[in-house]
This record gives sequence, structure tokens and C-alpha cells, in this order.
Amino acid sequence: MIGSPDVVAFTKEDEYSQANPDLWVLPEEFSVPLHPLADSNPWAKTSYAKFTKDFILISEFSEQVGPQPLLTIPDDPKICGTFDLNYFSLRIMSVDYQASFVGHPPGSGYPRLSFVEDSRVVLGDSKEGAFAYVHHLTLYDLEARGFVRPFCMAYVSADERKIMLQFQELSLRFSQASEYLKAGNRRAFAKELQRKLRDLEYTHSVLQREEGLQREAGPQCMYSAHAVEKANELANVEKSIYEHRDLLRQISSYHRHPRRDPHAVTCQKCITECLSECEELLEKYAKFSGPFSYANRAGTEEERQGRTEIEGVEEEEDEAIKRRLSYTPQLIKAKSAKCFDKRLKTLKELCDETFYEATMELLKETERSFRGDLCYLHTRRLDRALRKKLRVTDFLFEEDLGHDDEEDVGILRPFCAVNHAADNYTLQNPPHIVLGPEPVELEALEHPDPQDPVSETGHTPESELRLGQGQMDSSPSDQTLETQESSEETKGSFSSDKSGVGPAEKPQSVASIKSVAPDPDPDPDPDSDLTPDPKHNTDLERESSSEELETTGGEDENDGDQTPVSLLEVVSELEASREDECEGLAAEVHSDLLVPIDAACCMAQEGFLYEASAPETAPHQPSQVLVVNQEPHALLPIQNDYTVGSPCSESPTTGLELPVGVLCDAVSHAEDGSDCTMSASTGSDRAASPIGYGGVVTLRQRRRAGQGALRFVRQYPFAIQALWCLLSGRTLVVLGADEGRVRRLVAALALFVPAPGKCGERIQAWLSCPFTLTDLQRWKLIGLQRVASPVGSSMLYSLSRYSRYIAILDADQKTLRCPAYHGKLLSNIADHRTYIRRGSTYFLHLQGTLCRLAAKAFLYTFTHHFHLTVSFMEGPEVVEGRRRCFLQEQLGLSEEDSQILLYLSQLITQQYLHPSTGSSSAAPCFSFNYTTSLLYKI
Amino acid sequence: MSSGCPPQSPAVAKSEVPVEGECPLLAATFAYWDNILGPRVRHIWSPKGDQLMFLSDGDVTFLANHTLNGEILRSAECGAVDVKFFVLAEKGVIIVSLIFDGELKGDKNTCALSIILPQTELAFYLPLHTICVERLKHVIRKGRIWMQKGYNIISVLSLEIVPIMELLASMKSHSVPEDIDIKDTVLNDDDIGDSCHEDFLHKAISSHLQTCGCSIVVGSNPEKVNKIVRTLCLFLTPAERKCSRLCKTDSSFKYDTGLFVQGLLKDSTGSFVLPFRQVLYSPYPTTHIDVDINTVKQMPPCHEHTYNQRRYMRSELSALWKTDSEEDIPPDTVIHTDESFTPDLNVFQDVLHKDTLVKSFIDEVFMLKPGLSLRRTYLAQFLLLLHRKALTLLKYIEDETQKGKKPFRSLRNLKTDLDLTVEGDLNIIMAFAEKLRAGLHSFVFGKPFYTSMQERDVLMSF
Repeated sequence: MIGSPDVVAFTKEDEYSQANPDLWVLPEEFSVPLHPLADSNPWAKTSYAKFTKDFILISEFSEQVGPQPLLTIPDDPKICGTFDLNYFSLRIMSVDYQASFVGHPPGSGYPRLSFVEDSRVVLGDSKEGAFAYVHHLTLYDLEARGFVRPFCMAYVSADERKIMLQFQELSLRFSQASEYLKAGNRRAFAKELQRKLRDLEYTHSVLQREEGLQREAGPQCMYSAHAVEKANELANVEKSIYEHRDLLRQISSYHRHPRRDPHAVTCQKCITECLSECEELLEKYAKFSGPFSYANRAGTEEERQGRTEIEGVEEEEDEAIKRRLSYTPQLIKAKSAKCFDKRLKTLKELCDETFYEATMELLKETERSFRGDLCYLHTRRLDRALRKKLRVTDFLFEEDLGHDDEEDVGILRPFCAVNHAADNYTLQNPPHIVLGPEPVELEALEHPDPQDPVSETGHTPESELRLGQGQMDSSPSDQTLETQESSEETKGSFSSDKSGVGPAEKPQSVASIKSVAPDPDPDPDPDSDLTPDPKHNTDLERESSSEELETTGGEDENDGDQTPVSLLEVVSELEASREDECEGLAAEVHSDLLVPIDAACCMAQEGFLYEASAPETAPHQPSQVLVVNQEPHALLPIQNDYTVGSPCSESPTTGLELPVGVLCDAVSHAEDGSDCTMSASTGSDRAASPIGYGGVVTLRQRRRAGQGALRFVRQYPFAIQALWCLLSGRTLVVLGADEGRVRRLVAALALFVPAPGKCGERIQAWLSCPFTLTDLQRWKLIGLQRVASPVGSSMLYSLSRYSRYIAILDADQKTLRCPAYHGKLLSNIADHRTYIRRGSTYFLHLQGTLCRLAAKAFLYTFTHHFHLTVSFMEGPEVVEGRRRCFLQEQLGLSEEDSQILLYLSQLITQQYLHPSTGSSSAAPCFSFNYTTSLLYKI
Repeated sequence: MSSGCPPQSPAVAKSEVPVEGECPLLAATFAYWDNILGPRVRHIWSPKGDQLMFLSDGDVTFLANHTLNGEILRSAECGAVDVKFFVLAEKGVIIVSLIFDGELKGDKNTCALSIILPQTELAFYLPLHTICVERLKHVIRKGRIWMQKGYNIISVLSLEIVPIMELLASMKSHSVPEDIDIKDTVLNDDDIGDSCHEDFLHKAISSHLQTCGCSIVVGSNPEKVNKIVRTLCLFLTPAERKCSRLCKTDSSFKYDTGLFVQGLLKDSTGSFVLPFRQVLYSPYPTTHIDVDINTVKQMPPCHEHTYNQRRYMRSELSALWKTDSEEDIPPDTVIHTDESFTPDLNVFQDVLHKDTLVKSFIDEVFMLKPGLSLRRTYLAQFLLLLHRKALTLLKYIEDETQKGKKPFRSLRNLKTDLDLTVEGDLNIIMAFAEKLRAGLHSFVFGKPFYTSMQERDVLMSF
């Protein structure tokens, strides 16, 4: 058959050369494209990948079938699409340098185990559009050729830059996973060796007995061929025993082996434990087995049995040995199975199950934490890094960063698959990670180690599982284009009442912490397009946040491996540590606080000291009642039937503040309370609001609320007035009969409440009773039930009574009653004609605007000459003039806009001076003026 | 030697490159896949200077050979340059390999240009990875042409290997620290006019941000230069700071393509000659700041810069393609022209667009008392605002265009909605967004620009 190259050979030269008429023109393959694809679509760079999103691939170089993929994380065939995993496995396994390093040193008598360090490779297949971080490791298998089984774990992405920019973090995570696998494998390998040794010893004893019988049966000085064969067999078995003992010795000495990898991280406690256990085991094994234990100890089965009984006392002294005796040794046949007949162990079998499961959890969590578009991951991490420097204003509009304090700890968390504490690890060369991982909300949990309950604390692999939840907030667009064809049904679903269950509403038992059920959240897509123009509505819902669809992996039960004798015995005490998680959490949340300064004005301080190490805060600092208490009722105790909140309490929010215990999981005790007139609704509407149940308000919730906020801005032309009220400290009451609607509005408007508190303490999402003036100081946003009953009339009475101090948004009538706002500061976030399409985009925009407001307030608060006299000649009016000048002339703010800044400044001052009380419990000054309120209608 | 051994390999050619100071690079190698003998190392470059670690030629050859492992399976498109990055703890080294195809002795071969560093330099090297790779990629383009012509590629590769060794050595000694003390910057001055004139600082920072944080600071006084370098670096991310360089106090470094901020010292005659080609090859446009005369100039925005850069590259490669003799390797400093492209040498222009973001920041930050952490906090707030605005802009465009599937036609709406009506503000935020999503400028502004360029070319052809 003639192929095309052959045909080409017969073509005339002049015809063929016509393909390139001008030899002086540079062929495109040697040039650079003038208009590459990225110019026409910067998002299209990764679109030619055949898989839909990043995944982790574990492959093996099988001695039987060559490179083969073993599993992917997530284990969803849709993700890999038509991507050829077999080919890619071949590619990534063929770059393994480790094979070059593994080798038998010549001349060594016994087989040697090579303790080879992992190698890390980033490579790509530009044609396939696939790039991967590949982590090669070698596991031991007694049955494998050279006792080694080469594996690799690869993080596969379509974005090469994403991998390189996060190389160190990927390396760290995969090193950790590798350490898990290898630790489990050493343990399993040692177990296998022990079993094999027992088999060999048993075989040896049988052979010896047979040989003895034959020798006795035959004539003296005459050996039959069979006897010679038996003797050879016996010699082989003896040799094998020596070899296996040597292997056991080698694997036992692993931890004495110096690590060459400066990035390897090991758990010191594991090393210490393992060393002592290894020594103990070897010693005991030697004592137990002798040169050939079965031969020495028992010639027959009966004798062995008897011997066993005799040694019973000794065995009782050693639990480990007793357990080992439970294994029934097998007779080893002279000829083992052929290479291709045997079944190679699976990865799970190669590693101890506990370690395997821990590895899988870690890899799942890794996959989650690196999920999403690089630019969102990158910005988010920069954002966090910057916010750590902004503690003094961060409380105003940002979600809590408390757990992120432990982010660094998270990065360097102990590389121990079991529950050893963070202070036990060593990282020989901690990498300078620029891009940190996602918030590790619970990773710093410490658990008392059962072996040493006093000094040791623990860390469960399961806790890793939960880390991913924070990751889910990562990016609003974290899928490649192909995956974003979803959530059409969520379009325009503002009125649908399918909100997700707020964290506080979930039963926050320890068990529930550990396994996160699939998010049943049919929440309106926060990104759904709100542009009124219907023609734009197509395809706008595609950007579904994959985090909303993701589920965390299920709880992996401890397999309960009770084999105490095994090498590297570090049986995970998972269950025990689970029980102690709560304790770990209780001590966990602590952030840098400002140094309390006893001064009327923070300006008087020479130092801006909030970065200094904060002294322990006072346990209960009585909150300063800064309220303008001219309302006679304000000082009266709140009604008896009002079980939440009491003006007599030390803190304005005491009693009101929902119990924030472990994980701030305030299942509202107040709501469980007796005759509390606050809503005890259990309807689905309640789920609409993530705010107000005491749980820590997360970025995810806030982003979702962005959708509602954008809708509010679009729907209500007077939205700007409402926002101004909230931002200037005027309490806004959302009145309505429909709880769901009110809650949704409250959740949306909560974004604009300055210093809402870590758990949204300054927001009351649903109230069914009249409120008092004290409540107005305590809550800045209230959802109020409209009821047609005597209670309702008293509520209306309280509304009208305090109407001059509050703003009232009637959700049913769609009206707003509040003072007029003529400023311009907020026009940019309250423009109902905005072309911002999605809630998440609006939320980003809002974040930027509020960040700017906070910066201005910071400037105003901490500029010395706005608050202090420069010279003795100056009076307070001069300082006041400077302030006014700054606000009105430099910043160009109107009177109403100035009020916003003044209010924010007041909050900052209070936070700065009383950091211990924090924003969650200390109410700012309650001030009001008698500006006439107007009624706005749609 | 026993008869069973493979034939002895010829000795690998080696060049020793004298490098001033401590060069973290252990070696650079060029290897190729010989169709008979398998992977072969053709050339080794090794720095001659202070080195912390030593690799024997045998080790280098071993490592370099293995960079071609698995490349027999390579199915990349012709001309593609793939990057492999190894961290081999067993050997304690990092290897960066660029794999490409090229013609050697009439055969198509897979080749690898690699640089080898100690593993201890991983954190040092990673931020510089992109710079090194981009520069090596371009020299590989040139090398492939040279190979195609049957010439020796080594001489071409040396054109970039040596400067990269020098770059890494200079970064080892003069890179900007990740954490900059604000006290070492202009932002710690009591008053805005203490170190530099008010508008100069505003212009410098504004332009620096408009050019994606890429600036060169030249001057005669190294302290003054470095103070401005540090000040500009305050507005960069920690990783970008690691790609910035202070100026030497005694003599000047050469300009290095790809660094974010670099301080350069003028010579005794008070001048500094910028290599046009290298400046044009920078991934982002550059701001030129002269601290002696307080001038700030900037290059055109990203889409124009990228376009010019590509035109220049194509022109350079074309010139190389047309070279008749191996001895005629065109030096880098020569501006290549052909019939269709004449580069505009006047790349640095005045800063045209004023902004309000930096202006108000500069005005306000000096109101805060120096010496405390106040200004640092205010700076962090400012940066947070910029990053957030950039992400918002990106998301806005993403929403509008369905991730680039549709052209972006609502710039006016974007400006209004995101409060970016002032041109300078938009430029700054776009520059931040460009770093997040490369190609954004071209996507948003490219079409009209390309059209005008085409029209200009057509007119010039008459």
C-alpha cells in the first residue's frame, strides 16, 4: 500500500515546492502570532482542555501493565470528559526521576530497600491543554519487583500558570499526602514482613522436620535425591528468612535515615514513637523468634501448641506478640507464582487503611481548595493578606477573619496522618508561600492525645475534611466554561423561598461538623442576572458557583486497627479526638486585638498600637452606656416576657446575643426559650436569612446576600435613603407580614450595616414583639412582624413612638419612612439603573465601595489635627473647623454623607479604645436628631 | 572496556561564564534526543564565581539527559515550547526545562534547554520563573531558526543564558525584600514635599500603577533611587517585590527584561542608555522615572505594548531567518526593520491621564502622623481597594461578555457603574485586572487599535 510519504516522493519537485513560494518569508511555526487567542478572548486560554475542571489523578507504573490511572478526585467521569487518562498517566509516569535513583548497590548481600525522596514535576501537554503538578513517590510491596511500586499523584489543570503560581502550596499538600501514604505503607509493609517471616519460619520448621524424618528413614551417609532437594529447599528458606529479617530491619530503620528533601515535613512525635517502637519490635522479635523460632521452639504442631501455652505468661506481658500469634502461618511453596499470575495489591492494601483514608480526605480537601479560577483565588488571598493589616477597620464591613489567623498554621500543619499536635512537626525549610490556602476553619483543633492526655493534643484527618467548606467561598466563577451551563432554573427566583439552611440552624453537633451533607441549597443563584433587559438574560446564569453544588466527603470511620504490635504503630485515636474538638474550638477564636488605651481619644496616643501583642482582654468589661437616654422608657427593664435582652445586663447585648459556643453555632437558646415572643418560626422562610442566628457570618452568605441587595437597589428607587440610614447608624426596621420576605430583605440590607458583629448580633432578622429604645441602640436592622392582633397594635404603637429615631421600610406597602438624603456618596452603590448584572459582581462592587468608606473613616479618625489642637492658641472651634473643612471641602461630602463618616469613625474609635468588647457586644453611641422623616413610595 | 559497553560518548562541550557575585544557577544545559543514542547533552554552561553548591559534569549530564524522559511521546505542535519544572529532592536540585523541536543534522529532534539550581533556592527562584521562561522561550525561537539553517544553536542560546545567570546573581544580592519597611520609603516623610515634589510623587505612583507596577527608576544618587524603588514596591504584591531590584551603589546593573521595578544608576556623564529591544520585550509597559530631574514617562498601555512587542519579535525573527551566514547573528541591540514594520522609538511618553485614586491617596496619607503604623494601614486599605476594584471590573466584563464569548461594548456603562469615569482611574484598575487576566486590554481596547494600525500600515504602504 502506498502511503502519502511515498506519494510525495514521486511528485515533481517544482510542484511540491510551490507550497512555500517565498523562502524568505518566515514560516509561522518559527514566528510568534500577532493576534493570539488570548487577545480575542482572555478566558479562552483553557477552553481547549478536554476536561471540565481541575482534578487529582493517582497513577501507578504497574510492573504488569505499565502506567495506569488508578483513581481521580473528584471521582466523576464527567470531569475528565474525553481526556485520555491512560495516555496522560503514561506521560506523567515517564518523567519519573525516581526510577533513576532506585537501585541495588552492587555487592550487597541482601536486597536493599531504597529510601528515595519524592520528586516533584510540573509538566504539560500543550496539545491537550493539560498541565500537571506531579508528585512521584515509591511504596514498598513485598511481592513487587525490587519491592517497589512507583506511584504518582498529579494535580491536573488546564491553567499552567495556576500550577506554577501555587507550586509551593501544591508541593506542600502533596508532600503531606505522600507522607501519609508512605507512613501507612511502611506500617503495612512491616506487617507483611512479619507475616512472611512467620510463614517462612513455619515452613522452615516443617521442612526441617521432613528432612529429619527422611534422614532417619534412609541409610546412614546416604542421601536420596529427595533429601538433597529438601536440604536445598531448607537452605533457601533459611536464606529467605535472613533476607526478610534484614528487610524488616531496614524498614524499621527508616526514621534513622536522614531526609534529603528540605521540603519534607515529618511529625516529630511520629518519629520518636516509631523509633522506640521499631527498636522494641526488633528486640522482641529477636527474642521471640530466635534464629528460626519454629524450629527451635516446636518440632510439631502439638509441641508448638504446648509451647504457646507455656509462653502464655510471657505473651501476656506483651500484647503485641500475642496478637501476632493470632496469625496462622502458611506453608510457603517452593515455587512462587509467576510474575503475571499474581495479583498486585491495590493502593489501599498497600497502605494502612487509616492512612489511606486520611490521604484521600486530604486530597479531596486539596482539590477543593485549589478549585476555581486563578484570578479569584489570587485576589482572595491578597485580600486576606491585606485585611490582616486592617484589624482596626476590618470589623466594619468585613466578615470575620478570625480563623484565618491560623491560616499560616494551616499551611504548616503537622504532617501526620494521625492526631499529633501541631508543635510536633518540623519543616526543614518552610516555603515562603505567597498564596495561602483557603481558610482552614477548624484545622487548629487540638485533641488530647490518648497516649498522653496531659501533654499531647491531637489532630484528626477528619478535621481536614471540613477545611474545604471555607474553600467553597473561593471564587464566583470557578469552573471552566464547559461546566457553567447550569442553574437556569434559579433565574429570577427572588420570590422563591428556597434559601439554604443557615449554619446556625443546622444542628451543630460534633458529628454534624464532621460530615457536611450535600448542600440542599436551592438558594437563588447569587449570580443570577438582574438586568432588566430581557434580551440579555440568556446564558447569564451559567456561572454557577460550583461550591454551592459541592459536597464534602463523608465521614470516614476509623477502621479501628487494633494491631498494636505493628511497626510504626500510630493508631489514630480519631474518635477520641473528635470528642475533644469542641474544646479545641473554644480556645481557638482569638484575634489580634487592639491594646486598650485608656484615653478619651485615640488621637492622644503616640503609638498606633493595634499591632502590638494584645494583652488578654478583660473577661467582662462593662460596656459603656453611651446612649443618649432621654427616652424615659429606655432605662426601664424590658418587659418580662422579653427573654432576650435586658437593659439591666452588663452588656447591651447580653441576653440578646445568641449563644456563640462551639463554632459560634448558636442554636438560639433564646428561641428555645420559654415564652419568647421572638419568632419561633420553623418554617422554611426562616432559612432565608443567614443573619441573626448567631452563626459566624461567612463570605459565602454575604455574597449570596449581594444578590438580594442588588435586587433591593433595583426594585426600590428609594433604596439609597435606606442605605444611608443604615450606614449612618439609624436603625432600619423592615416591617412585613411575610417572614420570608422580611428575612430576605434583612439579609440583603445587612451588608450595609456597619459593624454588624461577627455573628450578626446587631441585626434582628425577625421580631414578633414590640421593641424598646434600648433595642434601637442594640440593633441596627430589625425585621418586624406585622400582625393583626393586640400585640400587633402595640408593635405599631412602638413603631410610631420611635419613628423619629428610626427608618421604617414597609415590605408589604413598599414604602420607606426616613429622613431625606441628598448626598452623593452612595449614589454609586444604590443606582437602580446600574448595569451590574449579577449579585456576586454587585457584592464585589459593594465591598470596594465600603472599603473606601472605611478608609476615609480611618483617615478621619486617626488624623491627629482633626481631633487635637496644634497649638495652645487654638480653641476647640478651630479643631472643629478643621474637621468640617476636611469633610466638606477635601472630601466634598454633604451633611448627610458626613454623618456616615462620623458614625463609622465613632465605631472605629470605640473599637480601638475598647477592643475587648469588640463590635459584637459593645453598642456605639445612640444618637439621633429631629430631622423630619419623609415617606417614600415606589 | 568490555565489548558489551556502549560506545564512549564524546566529551560534552562546556562554557564557563564569569558571573559577579553569588550565582544561584548551577548550570545550564542543552540536550537533544538522538535518534540512535537517545538523550544526549550537547552543551553545558556553568557559572564561574561564588557558588554554594557544586555539580560535577557527570551529574549535570545525568540530570540533563533525564529532562528528555518521556519526550519520545511528545505530540506537541510544531514550534511549541513546553516547560517542565523538576524539584528533585534526591539530588537537591531544581531543573527548569524547555522542551522544543528542532532540526539537527537534518533530523527533527526533540531538544531541551535546561537550567539547574539548588533546591534550596526554590523560594528565591519561583517568583522569577516566568521571567526566565519567557526570556528563554524567545531565545529558543531564535535558536530554532538557527537550527533550521543548520547553524550552531549554542551561540544563539548563549545570548540569553549568560544574561539570565547575571540576572539571578544580581537578584540574589539586590532584590527588594518581601517586607518593606515604610520608613525606608517616601511615604514616611513628614511632608509630601520632603523627598520629592508633590506632583512628581503622584505622577510616579499613578503611572507606575497604570503600567501594571512595572517601572524603571534612574538617577545619579543610589539612595534616592532606591528610596523611590522601595516606595513603588509598596504598591506591589510580595511576589512582585521579589521580582524587583534595587540599584547598585557603585555601578549600574544592566536593564533586565521582566522585572517589575528596577533601580538603575546613571553613569558619570549623567546618562543611562536603555536598550529599546529589552524594554519592549518586557511583559508589561514600563514607567520611566528619573529622580534627578523628577520626570515621569510611560509606555503605551498593555494592548499597544503587546502589539508593538509582537511586531518587533516577528521582525527580529524574520531578520534572523534571512541571515545568510552563521557569523551574522544580529546583536540584540540592533533594531530590526523590515518593509512592513518600523518601530516607534519614542516609546516613553508623558503621563496623559490624571487619576483621582492615587491623587487622593497621596493627599490623604501625609495627613496621618508618620512613624506609626497609620500610614501602612492606610496603604493597605488603598491596595485592598485597588485589588477589589480590579476584580469587580473583571467580573463585570466577564458578566457582560459571557466570559469573552461576546465582544465588550459597554465601556461607558462600566465606567459609570464602577465609578471609573476618570481615565487615569480606569487605567490603573485595568492594569491591575490585566495582571489577573492577561489579554484583557486587548480584549477591551484591542479592536479599534488594531484597525487603526492596519489603516496606518495601509497608508504607509502607498
